[in-house]
Amino acid sequence: MKILLASSLCLMSVWAWAQDNPGPQTSVVKMAPVATVTAVQGKPATVSLLFRVANGYHINSNQPKAEYLIPTVLKVEATTDIVIRKTTYPEGKDMSFAFAPDEKLNVYTGDFKIDVLVRPLMSVQTGKYVVRGTLKYQACDNQACYPPKQLPVSFDVKIAKAAAPPHRNPAQSPDVHQ
Amino acid sequence: MKRNPLILFFVAAIVAVMLFTGIRVARNNRAGNSGKGQLIGNLAPDFDLQTLDGKDVKLSDLRGKAVLLNFWATYCGPCKVEMPWFVELQKEYGPQGFQIIGVAMDDASTEDIAKFAKDMGVNYPILLGKESVGESYGGVSVLPTTFFVDRDGKVIAREFGLQSRSVFVDHIKKALSQGQAVQARR
Repeated sequence: MKILLASSLCLMSVWAWAQDNPGPQTSVVKMAPVATVTAVQGKPATVSLLFRVANGYHINSNQPKAEYLIPTVLKVEATTDIVIRKTTYPEGKDMSFAFAPDEKLNVYTGDFKIDVLVRPLMSVQTGKYVVRGTLKYQACDNQACYPPKQLPVSFDVKIAKAAAPPHRNPAQSPDVHQ
Repeated sequence: MKRNPLILFFVAAIVAVMLFTGIRVARNNRAGNSGKGQLIGNLAPDFDLQTLDGKDVKLSDLRGKAVLLNFWATYCGPCKVEMPWFVELQKEYGPQGFQIIGVAMDDASTEDIAKFAKDMGVNYPILLGKESVGESYGGVSVLPTTFFVDRDGKVIAREFGLQSRSVFVDHIKKALSQGQAVQARR
């Protein structure tokens, strides 16, 4: 009984502490690990990045409807050998919240996926490359909003050799270039 | 002596939670958030910030007035809910020596903040916030965050997130009635 009482007191002090440090204590958005994507030299490949918004929070979609809202944007740093062709965002959900019941905001909640189309140059060396970027988002819950954050993002792209092009010219003698 | 394994597990879980929380708080304190929790009952940290039309406003110049200091941003939906209440409260309690100050903690341009404030019909000064001012108030990591300062310049209350209008009224009445300036008048 005494132990339970002491434990309850401990819990209450932890709760009191938490009251003084409001807001999310960890990142509201987390990215799932991404399996290495294999891309062939010169050919585009899609990398799907999966994100999860913590329960009870929402972030604006890439196309928020209301003025002044900060959209979710993925910025991928292009490497010299791998070109970022296109970033495809999912459509947000139209939702209204306790702080504005008559207004619909276009948001991401729970899990969402962003597709990144990458295209390695023909000249890129085969091997594994790390592509880095950041996901900028701004989160709110039913009572408050939190300053914009930047979540570091990275994924691996394995470059495979392109198949040799078919020969158009008639066969030449092996010593022709010597 | 036989111990109940369930109780032992419960105690171990509590200790783990406390350790985890303690480490987090220590990290936060190292990051400069040590001011949190120490503001209430103490003098509100002074600042000198510019209004939307470029005038300087110093908090300490408002000594003798009760002040509601509201940290907000244009992207913050809950902040928008409070603003019409603040407009009314400024009208209602302003003649008694009450002043609302809005501090925009925003990356938006001054023009956008001004347009937003105009659209909301704001009748109190909006100041352009700085990170350093936010830090002096414990790091404004939640918007809206509102501080209530009495006539002596002491912080008497703080509210995180959207509150009901009655909560604001209670704190305003308290701020207006507290402080040596009030005692001297009596």
